[in-house]
Amino acid sequence: MSGQYGQKVICSQKGSSILLEGNVAEWTDVVAAGKMAAEIKGIKGVINKIECASVKKKRKAGGELTENVLKDRRVDVLIIGGGIIGCSIARELSKWDLDICLVEKEPDLAMHASSRNDGMIHPGLVPSPGSMKAKYNAKGNGMYETLSRELDFEYKRVGSLLLFDNRWLAPAYPILASRAEKNGVPSTEFLTGKKLKRFVNSKDAPSLNKSLESKWAVYIPSTGIVSPYKTTIAVCENAILNGTRLFLNTEVLSFERENDTIISCKTTKGDIHAKIIINCAGTASDEVAELAGDRFFTIHPRKGTILMIDRKRGHLTNTVLSMPNIIGKKDTKGGGIVPTVEGNLLVGPDAEEQPYKEDYSTSMCHIDAIVNQHFRLLEGIGKKDIITYFAGTRASTYLEDFIVEWSDTISNLFHVAGIQSPGLASAPAIAEDVSEKVVSKLKRMKDVREKVNWQATRKGIPRLAQMDPEQRSVYIIKRPDYGEIVCRCEEISKGEIRDALHSPIPVKTVDGVKRRVRAGMGRCQGGFCKPLVVEIIAEELQMDPLDITKKGRDSYILMRDVAVVENEKADSREEGDGNVV
Amino acid sequence: MKEMTCIVCPNGCRLKVEVADGNYVVDGNLCKRGISFAVQEIEDPRRSLCTTVKTVFKEIPRLSVRTDGEIKKEMLPLLMNSLRKVEITELLDIGAVILTDVLGSGVNVIATASLRQQMAYVKR
Amino acid sequence: MSYECDVLVIGAGPAGLAAAVAAYDTGARVEIIEREDRPGGILKQCIHDGFGVIRFGEKLSGPEYAARYIDMVEKRHIRIRTKTFVTHMEKKDGFFFTQLVSRTGIEMIKSRSVILAAGCRERTGRQIFIQGSRPAGILTAGTAQYFVNMKGYLPVKRCVILGSGDIGLIMARRLTLEGASVEGVYEIKPEPSGLPRNIAQCLEDFEIPLHLSHTVMRVNGENRVESVEVAQVDAAFQPINGTERVIPCDGLVLSVGLIPENELAESIGIEIDRSTNGPVVDQSLMTSVDGFFSCGNALHVNDLVDYVSESAEIAGRNAALKSGVKRELSRIKKSENFAYLVPQLVDMKRIEEKMIFYFRPGKSAGKGTLRIFGDGREIMKQVFKRLNPAEMERIEIEKDTLEHLNGEIRFDLTTEG
Repeated sequence: MSGQYGQKVICSQKGSSILLEGNVAEWTDVVAAGKMAAEIKGIKGVINKIECASVKKKRKAGGELTENVLKDRRVDVLIIGGGIIGCSIARELSKWDLDICLVEKEPDLAMHASSRNDGMIHPGLVPSPGSMKAKYNAKGNGMYETLSRELDFEYKRVGSLLLFDNRWLAPAYPILASRAEKNGVPSTEFLTGKKLKRFVNSKDAPSLNKSLESKWAVYIPSTGIVSPYKTTIAVCENAILNGTRLFLNTEVLSFERENDTIISCKTTKGDIHAKIIINCAGTASDEVAELAGDRFFTIHPRKGTILMIDRKRGHLTNTVLSMPNIIGKKDTKGGGIVPTVEGNLLVGPDAEEQPYKEDYSTSMCHIDAIVNQHFRLLEGIGKKDIITYFAGTRASTYLEDFIVEWSDTISNLFHVAGIQSPGLASAPAIAEDVSEKVVSKLKRMKDVREKVNWQATRKGIPRLAQMDPEQRSVYIIKRPDYGEIVCRCEEISKGEIRDALHSPIPVKTVDGVKRRVRAGMGRCQGGFCKPLVVEIIAEELQMDPLDITKKGRDSYILMRDVAVVENEKADSREEGDGNVV
Repeated sequence: MKEMTCIVCPNGCRLKVEVADGNYVVDGNLCKRGISFAVQEIEDPRRSLCTTVKTVFKEIPRLSVRTDGEIKKEMLPLLMNSLRKVEITELLDIGAVILTDVLGSGVNVIATASLRQQMAYVKR
Repeated sequence: MSYECDVLVIGAGPAGLAAAVAAYDTGARVEIIEREDRPGGILKQCIHDGFGVIRFGEKLSGPEYAARYIDMVEKRHIRIRTKTFVTHMEKKDGFFFTQLVSRTGIEMIKSRSVILAAGCRERTGRQIFIQGSRPAGILTAGTAQYFVNMKGYLPVKRCVILGSGDIGLIMARRLTLEGASVEGVYEIKPEPSGLPRNIAQCLEDFEIPLHLSHTVMRVNGENRVESVEVAQVDAAFQPINGTERVIPCDGLVLSVGLIPENELAESIGIEIDRSTNGPVVDQSLMTSVDGFFSCGNALHVNDLVDYVSESAEIAGRNAALKSGVKRELSRIKKSENFAYLVPQLVDMKRIEEKMIFYFRPGKSAGKGTLRIFGDGREIMKQVFKRLNPAEMERIEIEKDTLEHLNGEIRFDLTTEG
């Protein structure tokens, strides 16, 4: 390695991981060095501490106590991170008579990776057999049907069509099929010639571009789609229903250790003492590991941009479409066209190595790249059908696999880290496994029984626009608010918005409402409904409209009352952040 | 020579004004009003003001108002300030006088929406 | 629950109100559907004056203009169903079946005709591909106007406005009057989009700079807008490298175009004109679906509400008439110099009165000559001074000019300067 980079990178061994230190000019060099180290057989992970001059230090270090809410609470399990992983684990653990506490640093759940993906429940074809990803992917996929019924969230089994245009690669199908089988994918179908033509003309992919010279394809029936943030919220609401305590705006600051046990955790909302700590902190999971003195891996955040297509083009495909360029690479640019449960299409993601874990800004070059790569798959789709776009960052380790294991050095710390794609699909299976292991260890510490009255189901907010007229009428007659349309692009009623504001997880932001009931996600992107949503939040939660934010912290929608003149008195707004649990 | 855009009607004629022997010579106007506008604009620029005032009605918290004539251009911020202190407590109709003879100008501020008519719909 | 009427008007803004009055006066049973809690449409928040100069000979504010028509509707006891939203529409056996949702439940209205007068929505920053982050503080001019005029809140304290259309200019003035500061108005085209009088009374009066051939590329700021990045653009509207400038501000107000709201029309299979984004209509403003009419901003984006009322009256009158005669539609051919021309069709069987056409030129010109050809001969000519895509033009054609034609009708616009 010193050959490639001269004196700039120092490579050593730390525990079972490789430690990289030094200095390079560009971030791409940092990542390249990490990936090179990852090739070394048998290592546990890559700790990449190489410094890079061009990287600006953005994330504020630490934080401080804002309000002592936790007050030295003693719990059985502390889960760090309110994404799909943390929430799924909480739900599994809630089946037992345990004191479970989930802390999330943001004002709402699913504000990072769990809301910034295409909602695809991957079938399990892609991961390398024997990897952790392969262990959980297909299994998790198979659990979604039941979960969606129990937790009342939308899930559709849409299947996926992988199109290939190299005829000479067709003999690779048996390899794909064999990999699928090893990974537990229920079935795959090889389509070519007449069979492919028939499929292409079917209702599944009605607007697949006929001029595409795709010679063969693989159809995987078990691929599904969900709304990832609605699913995360549904899972957590059920966990809370079953006794889990959720603390938002709560960030872990440090751990206190006694030998090989964490005895205390300091957060921005006070101290908490847990028998077991589970690290599901997404892109910050390496930082949490570092705080515990157990960092054996490093997250390099790989950014992806996704485009959202107007619902009126949603009919162009009913199955996931992609045309992979290369098969088998660990971090393919991949992506494709994914229908959503609400009738939109999502296109992308692409992949860009960059240093900032929470930089979700978009750039035109990425949008153009995605348009160029995927729009040719469909007829009748154009740039003018894009109603919005967003980005997310994958919590990728250098070994590009999930970490689901106890800490080697700390007896009561469990890491569920490096969860990138297929994390959403794998979540239920990961949760089951983690729960089993954690409960098993807890049983050695205390008497742990199954919860007698554990409730498997949870009722979501009714989706009036999806109902048939008779059922919808019944709801409206019971509650007239359900008949007053606020978001006209998506047909969302005042009743649904009020339900969101009174749901088990306290939300007071415009984006929080949007994540729960879609108001603002249509083609006018909140142009008409944002003021109305602000008014409803103010009315329901007895808040001053000036205090209402888009996404917490200081993202205020309104700056001041017109009655106040700037130099007469200071901002009429209160100090301090919004959500307190 | 001064150039200006006439704001009297949507045509927005571009006017060129010159002073010759103490008289104004206006060019570019499509109608007579442009000439009087040009003269006024040079000697004593005036504007009308359209804004809103606060009401006590939760459902209709603002009432749109305007001046029923034009006031000196530099008085606009002062008028805005006076109007910030106003609070409407009755369901007024269009034309109701909110402020009379603002800042000694002889111009009134009148309501341009009917709170009465609008509130009837809200209250259904 | 279901009931019937002759003409169903969707929207109680200036277009819907005028259409309903005209339909009623022609003898139809009319019903108006409005999704907001009170009528008036967008005029409720357009508190500035300048409305009604042509229609009433007065300079009214938006709410005053709307009130004139609300008065007319009330005098005739035409029902306005507020807080009522159309969810579905179907045409069957010559009738329209419209599904409505309101606080009382779901209902179905059966009508002989429908007038879609639902106005338009604003183009978003995403549609023009503004990049960067998504903080609070990015909003369209109409939404900003709603916050300021309807609720009394400033959504920005120091902003950049993108787009020099009238709504952007009006908001530049409004925000400044309420104590916010507008750093500048940026316009991607080399000439302003709004009326010259608005440049004068909204920007010049308040010393707000106007930057032509500029656009906003990126927004920065995690939670709230912290700055925007602007750049100069070339003749192809592409950013010129090296001209980027970062402007600290807490808001970006977008006035980048209006899009007629026609999702409902499209759902029943109406033909849309891509140059207006509104339906293709004949001189009675009937669309390609018999009995379905369009008027106001839903048909094409107007500058003056006076013409909205005019077109609405044409639609209303015609929607109320019972015509058993099958249409004979002739598609008008137009030369390249038009941005658009409405109506796009002429029903040759029903040339019963003078016809009104609205158009916008494709580009600015000092003078333009409009020639109308029928069956190959020139049948009418009109000269227009100072053509500007930002200013919609109107031309009236007498009945006998078109009456006896049986061939192609062609509109030709030649410009100079």
